[in-house]
Amino acid sequence: MTAYRAPLEDIRFVLSEIVALERLAALPGLEDATADVIVQVLEEAARLAETVLAPLNASGDREGCRLTDGRVTMPAGFREAYARYAAGGWAGVAADPAHGGGGLPALVNQMVDELIISANIAFSTVPGLSHGAYHAIDLYGSAAQKALYLPKLASGIWTGTMCLTEPQCGTDLGLVRTRAVPAADGSYHLTGNKVWITAAEHDLAENIVHLVLARLPDAPAGTRGISLFVAAKHLPEADRAGGWRPGARNAITCTGLEHKMGLAASPTCALAFEGATAWLVGEPHRGMRAMFAMMNQARLMVGMQGLGLAEMAWQAARAFAGERRQGRLPGQPESDGPQPIIVHGDVRRMLATIRAQVEGTRALALWVGQHVDIALRHPDPAARAAADDLVALMTPIVKAHLTDIGQEAADLAIQVHGGSGYVREMGVEQYLRDIRIARIYEGTNGIQALDLVGRKMPDGMGRRLRRLFHPMAAFVEETRPLAADDPALAAILEPFATWLARAQGISLHLGQAAFADPIAATTGAHDYLKLLGILATGWMWARMALAAHRRLAAGEQNPMLAAKLASARFYMTHILPGIGPHATAILAGPDSVPEVGSLTA
Amino acid sequence: MTAAAPAGAPARAAVLGAGTMGAQLAAHIANAGVPVLLLDRVPDGAPAGDPAARSALATRALAALERADPPAFMHRRARRLVEAGNLEDDLARLADCDWVVEAVVEDPAVKAALFDRLAGVLKPDAVLTSNTSTLPRALLAKTLPAALQPRFAITHFFNPPRYMRLVELVADGEGDAGPVGALADFLDRGLGKTVVRAKDSPGFIANRIGAFWIQTAINEAVDRSIGVAAADAVLSRPFGIPKTGVFGLVDLVGLDIMPAVARALSATLPADDPFQAIARPQPLITRLIADGYTGRKGKGGFYRLNRTGGQRVKEAVDLATGTYAPAGKPRLEDIAGARDAAGLLAGDAPAARYAAAVMTATLAYAAAVAPAIADDVAAVDEAMVAGYNWRHGPFRLIDRIGAGRLAEYLTAAGAAVPPLLTRAAEAGGFYHRAADGAATCLSAAGRPAPVVRRAGTLALDDVRRAGAPLFRNGSAALWDIGDGVTLVEFTAKMNTLDADVFACLREAIRITGDGYRALVIGNEAENFCVGASIGFGLFAANLAAWDRLDAAIRDGQDTFRALATAPFPVVGAPSGLALGGGLEVLMHCDHVQAHSETYAGLVEVGVGIIPAWGGATRLLLRQLAQTRRPGGPMPAIAEAFTTIALAKVAKSAAEARDLGYFRAEDTITMNRDRLLADAKARARALADGYRPPPPPDPVALPGRTGAVALGLQVDAFARLGQATPHDVVVAGELATVLTGGDCDWTEPVDEQHLLDLERAAFGRLVRTEATLARMEHMLATGKPLRN
Repeated sequence: MTAYRAPLEDIRFVLSEIVALERLAALPGLEDATADVIVQVLEEAARLAETVLAPLNASGDREGCRLTDGRVTMPAGFREAYARYAAGGWAGVAADPAHGGGGLPALVNQMVDELIISANIAFSTVPGLSHGAYHAIDLYGSAAQKALYLPKLASGIWTGTMCLTEPQCGTDLGLVRTRAVPAADGSYHLTGNKVWITAAEHDLAENIVHLVLARLPDAPAGTRGISLFVAAKHLPEADRAGGWRPGARNAITCTGLEHKMGLAASPTCALAFEGATAWLVGEPHRGMRAMFAMMNQARLMVGMQGLGLAEMAWQAARAFAGERRQGRLPGQPESDGPQPIIVHGDVRRMLATIRAQVEGTRALALWVGQHVDIALRHPDPAARAAADDLVALMTPIVKAHLTDIGQEAADLAIQVHGGSGYVREMGVEQYLRDIRIARIYEGTNGIQALDLVGRKMPDGMGRRLRRLFHPMAAFVEETRPLAADDPALAAILEPFATWLARAQGISLHLGQAAFADPIAATTGAHDYLKLLGILATGWMWARMALAAHRRLAAGEQNPMLAAKLASARFYMTHILPGIGPHATAILAGPDSVPEVGSLTA
Repeated sequence: MTAAAPAGAPARAAVLGAGTMGAQLAAHIANAGVPVLLLDRVPDGAPAGDPAARSALATRALAALERADPPAFMHRRARRLVEAGNLEDDLARLADCDWVVEAVVEDPAVKAALFDRLAGVLKPDAVLTSNTSTLPRALLAKTLPAALQPRFAITHFFNPPRYMRLVELVADGEGDAGPVGALADFLDRGLGKTVVRAKDSPGFIANRIGAFWIQTAINEAVDRSIGVAAADAVLSRPFGIPKTGVFGLVDLVGLDIMPAVARALSATLPADDPFQAIARPQPLITRLIADGYTGRKGKGGFYRLNRTGGQRVKEAVDLATGTYAPAGKPRLEDIAGARDAAGLLAGDAPAARYAAAVMTATLAYAAAVAPAIADDVAAVDEAMVAGYNWRHGPFRLIDRIGAGRLAEYLTAAGAAVPPLLTRAAEAGGFYHRAADGAATCLSAAGRPAPVVRRAGTLALDDVRRAGAPLFRNGSAALWDIGDGVTLVEFTAKMNTLDADVFACLREAIRITGDGYRALVIGNEAENFCVGASIGFGLFAANLAAWDRLDAAIRDGQDTFRALATAPFPVVGAPSGLALGGGLEVLMHCDHVQAHSETYAGLVEVGVGIIPAWGGATRLLLRQLAQTRRPGGPMPAIAEAFTTIALAKVAKSAAEARDLGYFRAEDTITMNRDRLLADAKARARALADGYRPPPPPDPVALPGRTGAVALGLQVDAFARLGQATPHDVVVAGELATVLTGGDCDWTEPVDEQHLLDLERAAFGRLVRTEATLARMEHMLATGKPLRN
């Protein structure tokens, strides 16, 4: 089993070449978030991930969670690990210092997430949803709710959940049935069943804060009649010091745990609300808005799950390929003995694929992530709006494309391992089992594609696309002279320019089709999401290659720089042309997808 | 171009009575190029020796006309054709008039007294008409001298007469071949009206049916507790009726007009007319009028705009309580469960049953009274289309619903089925088309009567029926309109221009050049063309697809230039809006035959760009060619600059010529129905011995120094707060184009140089966030963003 090593050098490269950290530190409220501070934070997070969390990954998978009398017991070691996590302040890295948070950029939180996910994705899901709960209360909660819950969530003393799904209500939230009845004291009583709720019951924290979608008695049907409520496992009780502590048990019971393909150490709970005491968050019937606030953040995090496991797959595959000896290259004398399999072309292809995807999408995810901070904090409203547009456009792409890549990487890692990869002891097959759900939850990847093509693309006649395409086009224009002067750069920059132009044409085509018939265009949605994901990652590679090229030309001695150039070339020749089939599918149009009648014939 | 009265027009006319209708009518007669005398009574106590005081009523009405919105005059020259006077001192001058129209108060005694005074004054062949809306011709003619009787007619105009298409003409059949026939021709060609012959019955055609419809709609809404906004939603689009519906229409006409019309109709209609049963005063309306809620001319009516709190909220009155509440925007599906006529007639929702009750009663009434008010059902339909802006008249509407179905509905509801409807149900509808394409409709007697297109009109419907287009794509079609002439019709939503339109124009040039003699560009839509489809442009710009955008500009420039240099004449035939690219295409035609109601403008700056399909270049060259202007080329450049930078929109075809959008030799058609036929005739005339115009001569332009001079002007506007930051940017680009870019007086530049400048300027502007924000805002709101 491969020991996890946080890819700090690569992250630092992205921070200096793609994110340009100094721009983040220039934002109001982030003056202290200098590169030094951030690197230090990441180094500490790496220590937690490598030494505390990673060692529990395989054992947690084997042991799983247990439900006894409505109480969930987490696998051995998780309680202690969570205590270290909370004590280290990791729950509130980016939370408001006024609520006890670390006040760092959301980007830092995102990077820390990657490390924790790589080390132990099941563990990461427990505190993971606390961020969404924090965000929703921060945006829509009353002052009293903020004062009560935010410090608890930021400190990790309490954790949070998102209670959306019900047995009859998955993707279609309009079907929510849980009822909320007003009580005389201004609170509400919730009655209903929620299923597939991550970390709704565990023994890691003293209390759990559920954010619950439910219907008020006068609610209109469908999504326009859904409200958001907060209900804690233990009713908050004022303590003598003016703070809050867990009081009496609320009428919320964990009635079951799901048996799943993966994520065995992440409790997926069925919850029964039996007149549970709750409070309204935000306005009546406006729950969908608040839900999307949680959801959008959660979607970026799920994208990071794809990246985190792809990184783990990379480390495992690379290590195994360097150690396992099989066969020789043609012409090699028998006396040399069998060679590490990494010498074989197809193994190199697989490794190069994983690395190009991991490092390329890391750059993409962090580039998007920095715009979360800009959208939140930039003093110029136009800059905030532009950043918000970019995040809105890229959220479905990061979620779906990165989770696809997480699964592909996990699969390739098994392939590199050969038969050993299929065996539990090796630990690689766990990555594939664990990541599979990421392409489904928080909105399936199909839903992400619909969001992109049905909402994000047409809004303002493509205004959000501008935030991606304008900088890409400007990049091509600016770098054209460089490509003309340098064949090595040209081999990277020219394919990108070519595929960008192709993508513009496809976008125009799909846009026109979608404006004419939005429903028909949905058959091309998946392909368009992939096209943009591959293209945007290609842009990241072009930018990283340029940076590596400059640094090498300046005399910097660092093997990583040459590796970056090699990965960029590989991406341009082996991965970027993957746009082609997606383009073909889009151009084939809606009629190319068989009708229902034909599929059921 | 206004003041070219058609042959057979009166040399001089007079309007008696300078009320709103009289004054507006005088203005419109002047619009046709005919000098008009506008007379009203002498105010009480005006001294004998004070002509100004004695003609004050007409003078004041004239002054009000100049401020009318929408404008009554098409051009300031028309204003100069109207002369104010009074009915005593100026009466003798009526002896010079070929047409005298009376528009005084609706009182038979007053009218009779006036006619008595005219009898000895009018010249023998003059035509006298009354603009009465309710009084029968027979009643008014009674006291006229016998000699005047055949030359007396009712000409019932609708308000405002410049814009409302209908004139109902009630004449004594004897005069038709002579003076009244000539007048009818002038009403048609000169004033541009749809002239419908009506029988001499109360309320004539349109108001007879319209008043019944309105009264029924109000009564039923009150009785069934249907909200005002819901009523208007169901009584409009589903039946091809303007979105004002009933209550919005009454607000527009005036709440006080309604009871007056109802009283007049009640007084003159026979006792057994169904209108008598429904004509009851509504206490709420009486109260609203008393409170000053007389409609849009007052504080509001059934609707009002509540401006408290800095917001404009449209409110509607509750018909039961008289209180106002936000009107909202009722969706048809929500309130009625159906979107079209058939669905509403079959529906169970209260709003659907309301709509069904109102419309079936109205259509039944139309069928019941048609024999008494018109010669055939087509005349009734024409009157409702031209007078009430219905898309289909009542009988076409019945045919769409099914005459049999309506008869069954009425029977089921216990209502009488009019004989004409029974006849239509048996015949399978009111309208029929024979195998040879000849159309018939039912006459008043219930027999088939031919539906005749007026001579000198060209209907694309007929062209479409005659055969397939020579070429067609998603946004335009090419038709053979006979006599060797082809026509390009724009067909996209709002007739916007896109790549398909250019493709069709290029095909039109190829096909027309190969066996035809001339090309007309025109259509029958409300608006000729509102310009480029900015949606696609914005989407392409958001994708940074600069090559595509540049290609689209080049495409337009090349196509328009190909029109200008084609080996056959090209005639543009606009009506309604001709904006942006829609005007640019016209500026490349050999000739423009414009409907008088054409509103043209190069409005590109509103979306942050400049005219780049040759529009800026053409306007510049035209202004430079105006040799009468003193001071060298700079004033001409400044003129073109101001016109485009301020996005000036002409409020008539005549004004468009003043702005340089149309040329002095371009011509005007007053009647919309005649526009395409006139354009075709013009195209045929030009085709004989046609030679394409030579390319424009190179022009000397000042270059950068000129741009700086224009920039100073813009800076001054900016300092006054009249130009926004992005206005300055856009105007700067425009100045660069119009002054020739990098050139100077010594090196004349050619058309291509200017077109390249247009394209480059467009390319720079479309890369700015501010321009893209303007486009997005225009698409979202229909209004320019001032950023």
